[in-house]
Amino acid sequence: MLYRTAGQFKTSYKADQALFPVRQDAFLLAVILAFAWVIFPLMASEFAFQTLLIPILIYALAALGLNILTGYAGQLSLGTAAFMGVGAYACYKMVTLMPWLNPVVAILFSGVFSAGVGVAFGIPSLRIKGFYLAIATLAAQFFLVWLFEKWGWLYNYNASGAIQVPNLEMFGVYVAGPQASSTVQYYVVLVIVTLLTLLCINLTRGNLGRTWKATRDMDIAAELIGINLMRSKLTAFAVSSYVVGVAGALFVFMWRGAAEPNLFDIPLSFRILFIAIIGGLGSILGNYLGAILIVGLPVVLNTLPEALGIPISSATVEHLNIMIVGSLIIFFLIIEPHGLARLWALIREKLIIWPFPH
Amino acid sequence: MKTFTRIAVAATLGAVMGTTAMAEGLYTPNLAYRTGPFAATGIPLMNGQADYMSMLNARDGGIGGVMIDFDECETGYSTEKGVECYEKTKGKAIVTQPWSTGITLQVLPKSNVDEIPILAPGYGFSPMADGKVFQWAFNTPLSYWDGASIILKYLEEQGDLSGKKIAFLHLDHPFGKEPLPYLEKKAEAQGFELVPIPVGLKEMQNQSAQWLQIRRERPDYVIMWGWGAMNAGAITEAVKTKFPMENMLGVWWAGHDADLKIVGEDGKGYKSVSWSFPNPDAPVMADVKQHVIDAGKSQTNEEEMQGVFYSRGLVISAILAEGIAVAQEHAGKAEISPADLRWGLENLNFTEERLEELGMTGMVPPFSTSCSNHTGHSGGWILEWDGSKFVKASDLIMPDSEVISELETASAQEYADANAPWPVNEDCEM
Repeated sequence: MLYRTAGQFKTSYKADQALFPVRQDAFLLAVILAFAWVIFPLMASEFAFQTLLIPILIYALAALGLNILTGYAGQLSLGTAAFMGVGAYACYKMVTLMPWLNPVVAILFSGVFSAGVGVAFGIPSLRIKGFYLAIATLAAQFFLVWLFEKWGWLYNYNASGAIQVPNLEMFGVYVAGPQASSTVQYYVVLVIVTLLTLLCINLTRGNLGRTWKATRDMDIAAELIGINLMRSKLTAFAVSSYVVGVAGALFVFMWRGAAEPNLFDIPLSFRILFIAIIGGLGSILGNYLGAILIVGLPVVLNTLPEALGIPISSATVEHLNIMIVGSLIIFFLIIEPHGLARLWALIREKLIIWPFPH
Repeated sequence: MKTFTRIAVAATLGAVMGTTAMAEGLYTPNLAYRTGPFAATGIPLMNGQADYMSMLNARDGGIGGVMIDFDECETGYSTEKGVECYEKTKGKAIVTQPWSTGITLQVLPKSNVDEIPILAPGYGFSPMADGKVFQWAFNTPLSYWDGASIILKYLEEQGDLSGKKIAFLHLDHPFGKEPLPYLEKKAEAQGFELVPIPVGLKEMQNQSAQWLQIRRERPDYVIMWGWGAMNAGAITEAVKTKFPMENMLGVWWAGHDADLKIVGEDGKGYKSVSWSFPNPDAPVMADVKQHVIDAGKSQTNEEEMQGVFYSRGLVISAILAEGIAVAQEHAGKAEISPADLRWGLENLNFTEERLEELGMTGMVPPFSTSCSNHTGHSGGWILEWDGSKFVKASDLIMPDSEVISELETASAQEYADANAPWPVNEDCEM
């Protein structure tokens, strides 16, 4: 009904391969973008910015980075949080060493450092695969967090061992630090996340994305048809770590405001991996859906009892919350093991051929 | 269906209005942690805090005629949840009680913008004592540097420290690293050797590597800066390796009765510095029992009430209540604003007489604050585990304020510079 594709004829290959072959998709995205760019910022409270909008975008970006590596190129990684940490610490060092640097440039540039570290830790992937590679990335995870703790230069020898985001200005407006307003930070995050998402969509649809997918599906076959595996795997590590590093810099500079080394420890890696898996490996949209479920839903659930006036203690809400989110994750994975993105794809398909069942 | 919807809407509306009616009064949220890895130490503290406020509400009808809306927001000791709670509560709150060094560090830079006082009794960032720089943060009555100083002073009483070796077993976390600058400075001045031994968050429960190092180093004393599961881990390991317990001293968060009960008699002689002490005969305990426990409004139990942590919870709420009372008097109105409360917390004066009036004699040392001194530096006692409970092992020991205030000013300035523009309190002339 809403998704009827009758009458939308494709007369060229270009039109058939376009980003939105179905007009309704483009319309839906336009509505979502309008919400993200105009309506949410106008309506949202400080609480919504700080606990829903900004973190969901940042987590989705981190999951997107991981998805490139794990979902598109098939290289399982458990070191996402450590690569985020590299981005965050690189950004911190850049803005403290060069205070004149534009903060957005610093954030975008900090990804380069994590890309470099990512490639270095990706070299073993040329010889080892699957779970063994996961262990190698786990080594990166432990080593880097240890380094963040022990290397005093990284946190400017601060006695507490934590990094604090200074107040950073851009064109006379504070964009990071305690003086920055949530709306400004939200827009900075939104611009960067939109740009990188666009980049990733096009990368995964293009030549590079196809080599990644070939590597993922069967690396020996890919090699036989002439794909350079080394190039394919290392570019996946580089692009993925770049995105993850930028997400890490945003995580600390646009949201948390301060970070201690153990923030980038393995629980964060797992959290991002869960977002990617529940959202759907090998999809872009899934990262956003997964982030909404894992990051956004608990916050909303936490505020529900109070909004409904149910007198229940905060600790009980927390326990209930963990149970509800946990069972929802199991529920979604049972009805669609390929994640929320696949679930949406099925719904969309059904809508297109509605009211016919097949 | 229609009737059902109507009933549901009516119920929701009624409930929402019910809560707004209930929420009147001074909103003092507590970022509690009754869940997660630190819950065991958190629950007695949270119960003590909540019970004191419930007692005031039941006995006196609140403070200055206004009820205290003491609410908990669960963080599970996670910084992320803590920030969520802070954002959720800051609209109405007159105070933030962050309850973790991590959350304090996160909230501290925002204090100048949001202008809500942070009350972090006995935790947080030691330089917060400099009230001119940290206008909105309070860590009464003792900072971690004070705690370290009291421990060193106590050890000096036992004999000259020069040439001695002191192991500093600490959580590898901003909290555990806090006293290091002070201890390093003192090690140089007094000529003892300081051996910092960090315990990672993942190794809290299994400290065999750290205790192997302690056995190898053979320190004269072990000073422990631990929290949560780390304390029980360290104490059982110390007993196992037969480290002389009387030479092991902990910070006030490492003096939890339940951690010592695991080892019982074997833990005899273990010491912990403290700025609070349970006094079961204090009038305030009787009031809490009468108005809160017997009325069934508490989650605590008889055994917990005897402990150091429950009574510390009471003291923490008493500090906040006193701040509110002082602020009300100064502002001339009962419904005070966060800025009024800041004035109140800056002008606390806990004298022996005032403590007696509050029915808290002996539960906290007397102290007072000012606009330049947000800690109060009350001094503390050394408590000793006698096999079944903590007893006082020393008189009140005062911290070495000269060295500390020097360090505080320098670190506070460093913080302000790193976070420029950082407004300082120019009006304060003390």
